[in-house]
Amino acid sequence: MPQVLHLVTYVPLVLLLAIMAALVWKAIPAIRYNGLGFFGRTTWNLGNLYAPLVSGHGVTHPPGAAYGALPLIVGTVVSSAIALVIAVPVAVGTALVVVEKLPPRLSTGIGFCLEVLAGIPSVVIGLWGIFTLGPFLSHHVATIWANHVPDVPVLRFFRGPSGNGQGLFTSGVVLALMILPIIAATTRDLLRQVPRATVEGAVALGMTDSEAAGAVTIPWVRSGVIGASVLGLGRALGETIAVAMVSGSLVGSNVHSFYSAFTTIAATIVTQLDGALTDASGLAVATLAEVGLVLLVITLLANIGARMLVRRVATTALPVGRGI
Amino acid sequence: MPTRRSRISTDGPPSRRRFVGASVIGLLVASALVLGACSSTNNSSSSTSSSTPSGTASLTSLEKWPTASVSVQETGSSLLYPLFNLWVKQIETSWPNVSITTGSTGSGTGISDAANGTVQIGASDAYLSPAQLQTSPTLENIPLAISAQEVNYNVPGLSAGTHLKLNGAVLADMYTGKVTNWNNAEVTALNPGVNIPSVPVVTVHRSDSSGDTFLFSSYLTASAPQSWTLSPGTTVAWPNVAGAVAAQGNGGMVNSCKANPGCVAYIGVSYLNQASGAGLGYAALQNKAGNYELPTQATSSAAAASFTSRTPASGTISMIDGPASTGYPIVNYEYAIVNKTQSSALVAQAVKAILAWSIDPNNGNAPTYLDNVNFVALPPQVVTISAKLISKIS
Repeated sequence: MPQVLHLVTYVPLVLLLAIMAALVWKAIPAIRYNGLGFFGRTTWNLGNLYAPLVSGHGVTHPPGAAYGALPLIVGTVVSSAIALVIAVPVAVGTALVVVEKLPPRLSTGIGFCLEVLAGIPSVVIGLWGIFTLGPFLSHHVATIWANHVPDVPVLRFFRGPSGNGQGLFTSGVVLALMILPIIAATTRDLLRQVPRATVEGAVALGMTDSEAAGAVTIPWVRSGVIGASVLGLGRALGETIAVAMVSGSLVGSNVHSFYSAFTTIAATIVTQLDGALTDASGLAVATLAEVGLVLLVITLLANIGARMLVRRVATTALPVGRGI
Repeated sequence: MPTRRSRISTDGPPSRRRFVGASVIGLLVASALVLGACSSTNNSSSSTSSSTPSGTASLTSLEKWPTASVSVQETGSSLLYPLFNLWVKQIETSWPNVSITTGSTGSGTGISDAANGTVQIGASDAYLSPAQLQTSPTLENIPLAISAQEVNYNVPGLSAGTHLKLNGAVLADMYTGKVTNWNNAEVTALNPGVNIPSVPVVTVHRSDSSGDTFLFSSYLTASAPQSWTLSPGTTVAWPNVAGAVAAQGNGGMVNSCKANPGCVAYIGVSYLNQASGAGLGYAALQNKAGNYELPTQATSSAAAASFTSRTPASGTISMIDGPASTGYPIVNYEYAIVNKTQSSALVAQAVKAILAWSIDPNNGNAPTYLDNVNFVALPPQVVTISAKLISKIS
């Protein structure tokens, strides 16, 4: 019996290895065919599926097949970054108010709402994003600034027609909503562990509430908030169906405006798999496996980066990932 | 000061040997999983050559409905979906022991799901490619009806009831980003006397793998080979055009076009009523003879007629940009993608009955069904071809 338990301990490791191995195995033809240029190209071309298959780079493929992962990688990273930029301040603000300001009954209620929000299936959020949030953002929110942003490099990205509600902006907001509960609930639990005496000491020295929060409370929980943000980032990077629904699923070109259609790695895999299955050579499916590998690596890098960051700023190490 | 979190995972470092042992087991399990995943796709080679030389198999002999209860799955083309649902409603009423599920998932799914056996009937606007037939030699594509594709637009300010004249060259230039406004000289030149307002063009294409994409890109290739150099297919590498929008399914195309003023979109003719209801206009397209035709049953029928005698026994033929002077240029056979070898005799019998009933001019191909979706019935010669293909199912 202890032996069995011991083996069970290794199930996560085995699963991880099995998934990695299967992905690599499936992706081998694509890795050989696409080469390193895969990461610099923007095209997504299955080739002429009605022409006889040809051979190249040691792989049988439809003539004209060419794949590039750059737009997918950029889309994944940028949409998740937008989500973090929106979600982290809101989540920390929510947690601060809940812990420091609200009466216990109300703060319990808001905590309950956070948990319910975290439990909404992403496909429901996607539906709401298509029918309500997207049109609202493009017709009533983005229009506030879209025509007033100066036409200079970088800022130009935020200029221009605000689209139809399916694109980068809506996806960023949808992702922010999805990661907000994780970050807020974790931060709330962390804030509750900040010693009251220290905060009250700061206030006794003449600090206002917001000064005390900035000088004492927030630094106290900083590393924990970073950890929570990475949990959120991990979810945002891999979120599939909600993004597939509100991204506009535009493969084959880089995102050129804050409001334009785009795609992420995860969304591409789900929207393109059906088409890929009609490629008799199997190269299209292999390429999807390859971008799946890329997503795994990006998520891994984000986690490693976060660990290093947490270690650097960890003046006070606090439990991370409690609450939800 | 709060204390550091204690490590939860283990009480101490596990001994190195035990760890290595478990890793080896882990790798073995992992590789077994991988091998299992690979070997599961090797069962498509059991093809049986059961070609019944039945000559002109009459439809009534194929329409032998099973008496036992049986369920059949269909998925694929969103263009065929509305018609298939009309058929299914009637079939399930007449033969309550037959239950049929339908799905509007796109022709790509129709083909791949029929190939891997997930569904018995895959619906597709595109015929099977030679490469697909090579990997799945037991598949066949059976013509069910004749369909057409309209080119829709949402140009605010254009007087209602106006049908813009468009041709392959202009559409290719829109989808490659050369024509970016509706009052571009290329568009106005085709439409003398029509006051076209200045509206930026928003190109809409399908995000899923689609027979409609195959038909539209085939039209661009056939009618404007200089302007459109990409190979036609159910998935096309659309050129990078600013503001381009992708949509899923014909329903999604209608919604997307409605939401994006200035849009141009290709939509199956079975969605003509929805598209018109959404306020979208549809174009008169230039055919090979140089005439501009609207997608009506008469023009679709005329276009398909010139291909009837040329339709091969396999049913595989492109009818894009045909020679008929009064024909609409984008017409096609709607196909059922079916595996000749079904899982059981009962299922095979049901599939044969369903398909034979569908192409029967007195049943599924009757105007009471086809008129709802603006389709055209198969000509008698093609019904014979389809019946022969259906008779091969066993």
